[in-house]
Amino acid sequence: MTNETGRGAMAETLIKVEDVSHVFPAPDGGGEVIALEGIDIEIGRGEMVSLIGPSGCGKSTLLNVIGGMIAPSQGAALIGGARVRGPRPKEVAYIFQESALLPWATILDNIKVSLEFQKAPRATRDQVAREALKAVGLDAFATSYPHQLSGGMKQRAALARALSLRTDVLLMDEPFAALDEQTRMIFSEDLSRLLANERKTILLVTHSLAEAVFLSDRIFVFTSRPGRIKAVLEVDEPHPRSPAFMTSPKFNDLRNRLYELLRDEVLAAIGKDRQGLA
Amino acid sequence: MSAASAAGQALTARLTPAQRRASALVKLSALALLLIVWHFVTVTEIVSPFFLPKPADVLRNFIRIVGSGQAWPDLKVTLFEFAIAGPIALVAGGLVGFLVSLTRYGARVFEPIISSVYAIPIIIFYPISVMALGIGPESKIAHGALFGFFPICLNTIQGFSRVDPLLIRLAHSTGASQRQLFWRIMLPAAAPTILSGVRLGLMLCFLAIIGGETIASIEGIGHRVVWYAEGMQTGNMFAYIVFVVLVAVIMNAALSLLEFRKGRS
Amino acid sequence: MTPLSFRSPPPWVSRALVILLLLVLWEILGRMGSQLFFSPLSMVATSGVTIFADREVLEALRTTAWILAIGFGLSVCIGLVLGLAVAMSRFTYQTFLPVLLLLYAIPQITVLPIFVLYFGSGPASKIAFGVSHGLFPIAVSVVAGVQGIKPLLVTSAISMGATRWQIFRRITLPYLAPSLFTGMRLASTATLLGVLLAELYVSSGGVGHFTRRFGESFQPDKLYALIAALSLMAILINETMRMLERRFSRWT
Ligand SMILES: Nc1ncnc2c1ncn2[C@@H]1O[C@H](COP(=O)(O)OP(=O)(O)O)[C@@H](O)[C@H]1O
Ligand SMILES: [Mg+2]
Repeated sequence: MTNETGRGAMAETLIKVEDVSHVFPAPDGGGEVIALEGIDIEIGRGEMVSLIGPSGCGKSTLLNVIGGMIAPSQGAALIGGARVRGPRPKEVAYIFQESALLPWATILDNIKVSLEFQKAPRATRDQVAREALKAVGLDAFATSYPHQLSGGMKQRAALARALSLRTDVLLMDEPFAALDEQTRMIFSEDLSRLLANERKTILLVTHSLAEAVFLSDRIFVFTSRPGRIKAVLEVDEPHPRSPAFMTSPKFNDLRNRLYELLRDEVLAAIGKDRQGLA
Repeated sequence: MSAASAAGQALTARLTPAQRRASALVKLSALALLLIVWHFVTVTEIVSPFFLPKPADVLRNFIRIVGSGQAWPDLKVTLFEFAIAGPIALVAGGLVGFLVSLTRYGARVFEPIISSVYAIPIIIFYPISVMALGIGPESKIAHGALFGFFPICLNTIQGFSRVDPLLIRLAHSTGASQRQLFWRIMLPAAAPTILSGVRLGLMLCFLAIIGGETIASIEGIGHRVVWYAEGMQTGNMFAYIVFVVLVAVIMNAALSLLEFRKGRS
Repeated sequence: MTPLSFRSPPPWVSRALVILLLLVLWEILGRMGSQLFFSPLSMVATSGVTIFADREVLEALRTTAWILAIGFGLSVCIGLVLGLAVAMSRFTYQTFLPVLLLLYAIPQITVLPIFVLYFGSGPASKIAFGVSHGLFPIAVSVVAGVQGIKPLLVTSAISMGATRWQIFRRITLPYLAPSLFTGMRLASTATLLGVLLAELYVSSGGVGHFTRRFGESFQPDKLYALIAALSLMAILINETMRMLERRFSRWT
């Protein structure tokens, strides 16, 4: 494992994952699935971290442990020094692969209902919701229904909802996976700008090497299941990052290193032998 | 916390083995409890045997009625009525459905009319059947056929009108003839919908026949229940109801089998 | 206005024409056929005026209407509670849905005599029998509605701190509305069927009794008038329900 020094590590630690392992009962009854094994990480306040690894290696599980949606079989997650024992709506907001918007409510109402769930003061809900929509450029669509929006706009609305909750931590589980390439690029740039402004602590699960490098301060590379941390890559580049960064030699170098690290794991995950392929 | 993650799971997701065992246990013990309570209240005559016979008596009567062949003449009548009414419903429903679906316009004109009529409880037409055809099998046949007609007809229309237009365009672009279009594209694509209509229609036809026999008849399994009821023979009535329910369940299973088979080919 | 410029009228116009044609056919056939079993439209309409002035018939209509209303109301309440209870959790769903479907598969008509045995020959047995028909479509639709809720919506709500009640109020209920109204439409027809079946069987009052009486005394004009009125009522109820259904499923 590479050493951690970087802008995140120097900042005050916000999230701490202490020796977390998690075991699911196998879906067909007998046996178990070891999803995570001995995860130890620290994430600084305002840091942007990506988790990358083969499908099924336990990235979502780790996110859910930090978000308090899953109690780990072993170890614990801490946020701000306090042990996570359940959902933390005031501190943690999620963005999922699908927008998870209520189809019968307008975008604005969706955000207001979320604020109601979070027990935000009633009087401020409307204003907070509108501000969040403005921040992601959806203010013109406040009264639209989810089915009237494109996939990218729906994810933007989900982002607005997450922002409106005003949490320190944002957990994003493959938020771009269902979007097309161009939309993802724009979304990434927006996110980078937002990061620079808001100082949120973000954990992003992604399958895109370019996205991981473009957005992250640090990238955690996972082994195939049982998920362990294989390596940590640092991306020393200030936010907001410009599109020019994407064509720089530094970017390419990082991306290639990431690819090398991942290749073995993906091959292991899909059960193929490198030699056998050659 | 584990409850929180479980709450976000689909209702259809698999239960854990422990839950599956508990589920089976709950079902079995509910059934056992029901039988025990039934046995207890009847044996102690807390509930008079006139209102509720003992489970053992019901079983004994059931075995006697079915075993002695005593049920056969009535069953034969009911099955005979169904054997006539079912095909009538099938042919009439399928034919009307097909003719209406010949053009999209026809479907749009007729479908709402037919589905509106389907909203009427068809049983209210039964007195007409009895008035015109008497209380013999004829009135049941007419009533059963009418009941079965609607689902078959409506599903035929729906089946044809929902064939993917892309498939039809594809067929046209490959120069298929009208006949080929019908046999190769339209019918296979519409078949699952039509068949589920046939299953539902035939089942409703069968139940309508039993219903007709219950209301006004001199024979048939539906009538026999009433006959026992009017004769105050509660014990026999319960046993016979069990028999009729079984017949209906078997009929339903048989019809589902047909749908399953044809649906696959 | 050359024949070439002829275009099909909108479907509803043709539909109205078809219905008109059927009514004309009814009139013509009624005049040709046996007056013993069949009656032309004009005669049915005239009789309709007389029977609906008849106090007894009006009374019967009122009886059937309120039996139907109570039966339907009970069906909705019981069906909703039952459906929600079954769909409460994965465990209850997988344990009790098969039981519910099994009960639904029992043809109610076969147990009608038991209803009369237990509830007597008054309104109670008709209400109960109506409920036995209306209950299941509601319960099954409710279960289907809850089953259709995306788990992610619930997960997301939980992550935002939603309580069980909030999840029910903000997710389950709105999601349920369209299928509940579908269930209510089916249940309204089914309840009416159950009530009429019981009335025909017991034949002690209500509209069912009168249809039977008019039939047995070979008064086709009156019988048809009553049936026509009932049919219109059924269609009206169904269309109202369909409207509600559409109103509550605009987002789907
Ligand atoms: N609720 C669950 N029950 C059983 N197994 C699960 C459950 N959730 C995830 N798993 C298993 O745990 C492993 C890790 O899952 P996940 O964290 O979703 O992976 P990733 O997000 O990295 O693709 C997978 O093999 C998955 O099948
Ligand atoms: Mg995942």
